[in-house]
Amino acid sequence: MDQEQEEVQEEVQEQVTAPAGRSRTTAVAAVVSLAVGLLAGWTAWGMRVGTLSEPGPGLWPLVVSVVMVLSSVALLVAAGHATESDPFTRGSAVVLLGAVSLLAYAWAFERIGFEIPTALLLMLWLTVIGKEPLLTSLLVTVGATAAAYLLFVVALGVSLPRLIAF
Amino acid sequence: MDVIGPALAGFSVAFEPANLLYCLLGVTLGMLVGVLPGLGPAATIAVLLPITYTIEPASAIIMLAGIFYGAQYGGTITSVLLRLPGEASTVVTAIDGYQMARNGRAGAALGIAAIGSFIGGTVAILGLTFLAPLVAGAALSFGPPEYTALAVLGILLVTTLGGGSVRASLLAAAIGLLLATVGRDPIVATERFTFGSDELADGIDFVVVAMGLFGIGEILFNLEQHRGTNPKPPPIGRAWPSRQDWRDARAAVGRGSVVGFVLGVLPGGGATMSSLVAYAVEKRRAKDPSRFGKGAIEGVAGPETANNAAATSSFIPLLTLGIPANGTMAIMFGALLLHGITPGPLLIGQHPDVFWGVIDSMYVGNLLLLIMSVPLIGIFVRVLAVRTAILAPLTVLITMIGVYTVRMSVFDMLAVAVFGVLGYLMKKVGLEPGPLVLAFVLGTLLETSFRQSMRIFHGDLAGFAGRPISGVLLGAVVVIVVVAALRRRSHRKTVDNDVLAVPGPTKEP
Repeated sequence: MDQEQEEVQEEVQEQVTAPAGRSRTTAVAAVVSLAVGLLAGWTAWGMRVGTLSEPGPGLWPLVVSVVMVLSSVALLVAAGHATESDPFTRGSAVVLLGAVSLLAYAWAFERIGFEIPTALLLMLWLTVIGKEPLLTSLLVTVGATAAAYLLFVVALGVSLPRLIAF
Repeated sequence: MDVIGPALAGFSVAFEPANLLYCLLGVTLGMLVGVLPGLGPAATIAVLLPITYTIEPASAIIMLAGIFYGAQYGGTITSVLLRLPGEASTVVTAIDGYQMARNGRAGAALGIAAIGSFIGGTVAILGLTFLAPLVAGAALSFGPPEYTALAVLGILLVTTLGGGSVRASLLAAAIGLLLATVGRDPIVATERFTFGSDELADGIDFVVVAMGLFGIGEILFNLEQHRGTNPKPPPIGRAWPSRQDWRDARAAVGRGSVVGFVLGVLPGGGATMSSLVAYAVEKRRAKDPSRFGKGAIEGVAGPETANNAAATSSFIPLLTLGIPANGTMAIMFGALLLHGITPGPLLIGQHPDVFWGVIDSMYVGNLLLLIMSVPLIGIFVRVLAVRTAILAPLTVLITMIGVYTVRMSVFDMLAVAVFGVLGYLMKKVGLEPGPLVLAFVLGTLLETSFRQSMRIFHGDLAGFAGRPISGVLLGAVVVIVVVAALRRRSHRKTVDNDVLAVPGPTKEP
């Protein structure tokens, strides 16, 4: 078996046996969901659980919270002896930037119309996040903003908040 | 029940010019996202949900279904040519397909994959045509206890067979169930987990969850995994197998059709698992298993036939029971709900145009895909030149504006971004978003039917075991949990020595 073939086998193997847990990041996630589960269970308890024959609004959320707490604990135990990890890297900062830009986009959308935020969002994603050349980015931005207008406003007849109303 | 009549009537829906166009549009999009590594069919369907809102229900589902099975064809191309599986269900094809391409037989590999997919798909549609009405008929008598058991079984199967670790999938499902309880109680309308917000009182919209987790989440995750430009594919000759290739592969195609159809019906089985099982079956049956991994054509034909058959047959539980078999089907479920159609045993009687129109359109779609994958394959290979750096912002834009158009709500835009971040974080820590979305979709049904059952049984949990169908289903739940626990234990031991011979859980999109 030549080396390349071994690589493929390994790759496929990774897909076949997904890791049981991913070390520290998994442990953190398990703790967070444990906390959420406990909080949800406590809130559900306050909602009137009722009885099994006359279930109140809180019964089902309580059942789900218990499942969530149990599976969080199970994951936490498994995370202790897992080896593979997918750590947060410098690339994660780009993801953060992307996520914040989406929130800002939603915030500005109804306030100043969809045109300017759309163009800014695209330029940011193309140049800063995607590292595309400036000219390409400009062309794509103009083209895509116009296309979005044509698709949603003209073709689908949706009324988007617009800077220029006509 | 008369099947032939309504089934034939469905062709009049499928052959309407507009629907033919939507079918073509869907399978083309499916091929494209199949070829492009990164954006999967689940994400694409989620992102397009708001756009389909304005078109006829039958047309919308025809198009979305086309994306799903079209992606199974497209994913093969990059697996064979570049060893970069476009979809999880074509990972196993990369083993022998890429070796065939290196030996200058890329055309034969792609050709047999396309023909196998066509045959597998068509066999599965025939199966769907005849089996679906029977299942739907049987399910008509289901009451709340049966639905409770069915929903629990569906969620459990997806968490045990679906992918990733069972614990992680179970947690993801629990989060989905919890999110489904946000909003007014379905029976007495008490507000739950709304934090005094009016927007949350109506519950979290399914579209927001699906678009955030699958659409934005996947894009954010891919931002970090920058591959740069895609490598240039090797030239392919004719995408057509020789007579000898066909003789070598036809038995594998036959077996792949059966394996794919059967596993596709099971929740959590789906296209990915069936392709792995089909590969294992071919390897075991071969007279000379050492050929596998060196370009054995059966290693391409079997899995590729099976993944397509499974993609088609996974519509059966959705259309007849209202239980989605995987994450992508959960989005289809949401798409139907968006159009005011509740998938379930009544669908076939209430909306025969949608039911049969969608099924019959699949014959057309598979034919179109065969044409695209054989003579037109060169066009789709060229799509690889499109850079993710350009594709990602465009997808994000369609998602953000699209989600706004559903309810004209900026709150939904913010929510989709938040779910996008959640999806990214889940992927980072090894939690698959699929079980979450599936559990979210089934959450309300599960709660309502559970509470109704408890009233029927006067609070006695043993009542579930007392009814034949719910009892059998719950028995199946117990068996699955035990088998999964045992198999995992032995699986970990054997997997090192018997690479790929044991089909195991994989990442289902």
